[in-house]
Amino acid sequence: MRRIMPAVAAVAISAGIVACGSSSPSSSGGGSGTAASCSNAAIQKDLYKKGQLTVATDKPAYPPWFENNNPSNGKGFESAVAYAVAKQLGFKTSQVQWAYEPFDASYAPGPKKFDFDINEISYTAQRATAVSFSASYYDVSQALVAVKSSPIAMKHTPAELKTYVYGDQVGTTSLAFITSQIQPTAQPKVFQTLNDVKSALQTHQIAAFVTDTPTAQYITSSEIPGTEMVAQFPSTGEHYGLLFSLGNPLVTCVNKAIATLKSNGTLAALQKQYLQIYLSVPTIKP
Amino acid sequence: MSIGAGGPAPGSFGTTGRGPLLLGGGSRRATAISTASTLVVLGALVTVFLLAPGSAQVRHTFFNPTDMWQAFVGDPKKGYYSVGEAIWLNIRMFLAAEVLILIVALAIALVRLSTSAVAFPFRVLSMIYVDFFRGVPLLLVILAIGFGVPALRLPFVSVQSAAVYGVAALVLSYSAYVSEVYRAGLNSVHQSQVAAARSLGLSQPTALRYVILPQAVRNVIPPLLNDFISLQKDTALVGVLGAIEANEAAQIYSSTVFNYSSYAVAAALFLILTIPLARFTDRVIERDRRRRLAGSGL
Repeated sequence: MRRIMPAVAAVAISAGIVACGSSSPSSSGGGSGTAASCSNAAIQKDLYKKGQLTVATDKPAYPPWFENNNPSNGKGFESAVAYAVAKQLGFKTSQVQWAYEPFDASYAPGPKKFDFDINEISYTAQRATAVSFSASYYDVSQALVAVKSSPIAMKHTPAELKTYVYGDQVGTTSLAFITSQIQPTAQPKVFQTLNDVKSALQTHQIAAFVTDTPTAQYITSSEIPGTEMVAQFPSTGEHYGLLFSLGNPLVTCVNKAIATLKSNGTLAALQKQYLQIYLSVPTIKP
Repeated sequence: MSIGAGGPAPGSFGTTGRGPLLLGGGSRRATAISTASTLVVLGALVTVFLLAPGSAQVRHTFFNPTDMWQAFVGDPKKGYYSVGEAIWLNIRMFLAAEVLILIVALAIALVRLSTSAVAFPFRVLSMIYVDFFRGVPLLLVILAIGFGVPALRLPFVSVQSAAVYGVAALVLSYSAYVSEVYRAGLNSVHQSQVAAARSLGLSQPTALRYVILPQAVRNVIPPLLNDFISLQKDTALVGVLGAIEANEAAQIYSSTVFNYSSYAVAAALFLILTIPLARFTDRVIERDRRRRLAGSGL
């Protein structure tokens, strides 16, 4: 039974991917002329620097999205996705250049110093008025991380969840999830980086924090001993998108690349390789 | 020529017998010129701002009235907190820190200026303290206290809120500066004052309390107030510890909805806090200046 479940899930997921993939030709079907315009030569005029794809992310770059804080090694889910997208657009590995862009600065008005930013940035309609997003390259669920056998690890009914002190990184959708869905009575503590959040958990300044499931899985399994992923929350339809300057014409071609990566199974394979699919995690309501 | 009738005397630096002047000399012509000049300078700045290619985008991102109002009132259900409410934390932290700094800094200054042989190790310690905390950036002190002390897992000490650690760090850092201000004030009281008090039969502590300190403190009130204006703004640094003060609330808003207008709200609130204190400082300086020049013939 246990073996079959992931297989069933994989089929279900790939079916979903096929469904996503099959929906995109209808949108691109109308503009078959634009299909040719996504050649490497044709997109040069839209690039930040000609002859290279400039991809940005924040520092430190966290696993499992990146590995060894080094985006250019092609390891980690987001690094691998960036190189896969680059390949679809006709770039060689050596033509991908990485830029450092703090999350806070990524949505500043004016020209950007990159072609796109890949940094676990969630799409919201309000954010999309300031920047452009690509189609989803990962659909996110939020999960709860706490110290093993601490009160919240035992007692987490929706009513009980409101009684704890939470912490999270500033401006993230995880923080918004705490304030909008869990609605705790005590104000959560808001830190500049995820590392500060982790140290606050270790020093017992907060009872728990919320982050996306792969990050939660990584932190609890290999980063901070003595912590556990208590549960994940039902999906709110949140997804990660690549961030572009508002109205950047490159989005069309990148979306086409993402659609291809979905339909040929690359994205699913990368998710399996780097993020894994954890079916054993219980889902609780906020 | 009588000073004060028609504007600054030639060669003087904007001063008359009535003290420094912000607005020209007072004659009608001077007023007209200064008004025109102000309008031209302001007009030029506003024109450059409005005609810049990205002006509309900058105005939307930094000064959008809807976003400013949203940030001011906040809405936790949408993921952000009220900047207007968060400023109260800054005010409380500032008031608590100010009282403590005045006490701690005075103690340090008195130790540093003590002359007894017994107090020698304390003099050395206070010197090291001042050198250390004036040299280390305040942000690092805040991070060290705010993340270090809870990690010690001491009862009571390690379970305080982020704002308490922030205030502790502000007190540690600012006391070093303010103790130097006090020291300058104490040194500015002439030695003859001590001699006179002692010759009247006052003991050393009594002379300090009733003769030296009152004069010393009066001399340094303007620089003290100056430091406190700076302290009001530096409470914003405590946000790094997770306390939701005005600057932190503004940052939460901006990165939630990708609009920086919340920072304009925080800036405006800080201005509302600091400007009254700045004007009050000006008045104290002017009053002090008049008092000291009284009877000097100017």
